[in-house]
Amino acid sequence: MQDVQLPFVFKRCLLAGLISAFVISSGAYAQQASDGTIDQEESESAAQSLERQSEEVKQDEEAARTATHWLKQLAETVSEQNFQVSFVVTRMGQETTPYLWRHAVMDDGTSMEQLNLQNGPGQEQIRVGNTVSVFEPDSQPYSVNSGAIHGPIPSALLYNPESLKAAYKFVTVGRARVSGRTAQQLRVISRDNSRFSYQMWLDESSGMLLKFNTLDLQGSVLEQIQVTSLTLSEAPHPYFAKVNKASLPQPMATRDGETPTHNWELGYLPQGMKKVKQDVRRLPGTGQVVEYKMLSDGLVDVSVYVQSARQALGSDVALRHELNTFLSVNNGNVQITVVGEIPLPTATAIAQSLTVTNP
Amino acid sequence: MTQQQEKVSAFMDGEIDSSEILDALKNDPELQGQWQRYHVIRSGLRKEASVAPQLDITSQVAAALDNEPTVMAPKRSGWRKMFSGSVTPFARQSGQLAVAASVAMAVILGVQQFNQPDQVNSPTGGATPLIGTPGGLAPVSLEQSRPVSRTDMATMMEKKRKINALISDHEQQVKLKQAKQDDNQAKREQQ
Repeated sequence: MQDVQLPFVFKRCLLAGLISAFVISSGAYAQQASDGTIDQEESESAAQSLERQSEEVKQDEEAARTATHWLKQLAETVSEQNFQVSFVVTRMGQETTPYLWRHAVMDDGTSMEQLNLQNGPGQEQIRVGNTVSVFEPDSQPYSVNSGAIHGPIPSALLYNPESLKAAYKFVTVGRARVSGRTAQQLRVISRDNSRFSYQMWLDESSGMLLKFNTLDLQGSVLEQIQVTSLTLSEAPHPYFAKVNKASLPQPMATRDGETPTHNWELGYLPQGMKKVKQDVRRLPGTGQVVEYKMLSDGLVDVSVYVQSARQALGSDVALRHELNTFLSVNNGNVQITVVGEIPLPTATAIAQSLTVTNP
Repeated sequence: MTQQQEKVSAFMDGEIDSSEILDALKNDPELQGQWQRYHVIRSGLRKEASVAPQLDITSQVAAALDNEPTVMAPKRSGWRKMFSGSVTPFARQSGQLAVAASVAMAVILGVQQFNQPDQVNSPTGGATPLIGTPGGLAPVSLEQSRPVSRTDMATMMEKKRKINALISDHEQQVKLKQAKQDDNQAKREQQ
């Protein structure tokens, strides 16, 4: 039987070879054809960029003003419209994760929101007014008092972009086509260039976020959020009528302990970043006692841990986990660990700026 | 036959409709055996192993070997698949590879070992083994190097655990931060 098959196999090989040769040659031809047009385009765009430079100074202020306008529109849409959005999150070297995001304003004026992780066992977050309930496969469902769901899109950017102005500048870049829609592109850059920068594309008709890139200092994309479908509707999605509000878990009471004092301070904070929390506690994983400060500029949160050098890692470590930079350095007396979505040089600067206030 | 097995496998993964394979599965005892084995394999791979593999594997392996034809030529189905578009097995395989590769993805930016504190000059020098001392002497003999590598492994694991504890704590703090802020705001509004 195999004797009969062999010739066929060879014939198929030959056929495949012929086909691929044809594909390659036609591809080369197409490239040649397009090469000619590119030359023309280049010279045109060079002239355009000269013109652009002269107008740039004027446009900067204008761009900042229009950026504010677009961000306002985004905030209005995400808090006042009924919508259903599908988006995917892509990180370098990782699987793409799809999300479903819905929002509705009910007849009684309550704002309801849902964010569902669509792959695997999933994760579901439901927000009713100012209570967010979280359902995860590996833990008990719980609720917290919060005006926004904690998802891949930073909530400060969606609801309160004005609060980010101290740390970031927003600049409109131009128009583009994203998710099949005309979009306005904005750049978000930290004022002292010490943090990751962002590119965002907003739908021109609704102001809705269509695409969101996180870039490192070299400009390569670390994370990309891409909307794949967007539906704005008059009426709330029927899903929200099915949510039984009484069956959602009661919100946890957050403990408001007194703030313990640390005998160390951080001499350097990136512009617009503030200390938002400080305490002393045991790490859930290892039971080690740490002194803890949280820094935040509204968009990114940075944790600073200080622990005695003896029980710590024993050596200096710098690594990246998802978008988080993890840096742990030993200054001789204590181990300082900085974790957050910031570039490594910034984390190093924060760690090295630690000074003891009253020994 | 192999096509049927592929279908069973695809059905288990929820990749094809139930209707086409269900009838075949009901009527074919061999396919039913396949179905069971696939499940045992899967639970084994996932380390669930709740399904006890109640099969006499040796006899089945022997039988399978007897039935196995000696393949000398490339499989005919390979080309057919490429052209007929039923390439799901390929796609599935590459997908699984991607999953395996993406597990435990922490990119090490750089490990610096400089200016270590002299924490090893404790008076009871002999009590703690001088292992993993930065800049320490290299092990002289094979005898010494064995315990070194083993304890190194242990310290690596310990280090990993500590790093993970810090990262997960950070993630939890970020999650709780917003809740806390809004909570305080609500309290202020009530007063």
